[in-house]
Amino acid sequence: MGEIDLANPTLSTTPRMPAPIKQSLLCCLAAFATITFAACSTTKPPTEKIAQADLNVRAATEARAADFAPAELQKAREKLARARQAMTAQNYDDARRLAESAQVDAELAEAKAETAILRRAADQILRRADAPPTEAERESRKPLTESPAKE
Amino acid sequence: MRQNRLFFTCMEISPAILLLAALTAGCGAVSNPALEQAHEAYQKARQDPLIVRNAGAALDKAGRTLEAADRLWTEERDVVEVEHLAYIAEQRVEIARTIAQRRLAAEDIQQPQPPR
Repeated sequence: MGEIDLANPTLSTTPRMPAPIKQSLLCCLAAFATITFAACSTTKPPTEKIAQADLNVRAATEARAADFAPAELQKAREKLARARQAMTAQNYDDARRLAESAQVDAELAEAKAETAILRRAADQILRRADAPPTEAERESRKPLTESPAKE
Repeated sequence: MRQNRLFFTCMEISPAILLLAALTAGCGAVSNPALEQAHEAYQKARQDPLIVRNAGAALDKAGRTLEAADRLWTEERDVVEVEHLAYIAEQRVEIARTIAQRRLAAEDIQQPQPPR
């Protein structure tokens, strides 16, 4: 490569300095190489990330995300499937990114489903609370508090 | 001999300068649209007291992802990884928002008649 061509003439024209110059050039080359290849250095298979994403998708499914956050759950499932494909193709960087993405999508799906279920329950209770209490409810409240229940 | 030494110092310093130039090349105020969008979503959530109070930990998680994305953007300009982290951060903001809503719903259930 060019670096070697550069080094050779200096070797012949300045016979006293070849070693240090050669050294500094080599150092420079090594530094460049390190920077250039840092990103591509031995990426490990993201086995744990895929397992984690799988767990999150299962948790979202159990939280009834299919009913209450179908779009997010679908996204998470698709990404998990693509992460597994990338894993088989040994595209470990893609696999890791897809698994991480699937994980947050599943977390969002789970949180959305839980929130929707709780919100629905809360609204039912609030609606009932807004309505005048039934005779049975008034009776049931009395003995629980020492002073009369506030309206 | 002096000339040689001068030449030697130049040869030793110039790679360092080159390296520095290569590292700082393009490190101006160039922004990444996805990263900007994630910042906006995060700032909006930070200004919402309901989210800060009810889902602080989840919001902090989004903030940390955003910090990592910022660092990667200024240091390495790795567009693919930065946009990936920006997406994660934005989803984490959304998770925090949802957790805050979940907490409010849970409180409504525990206190069916809040003071009005």
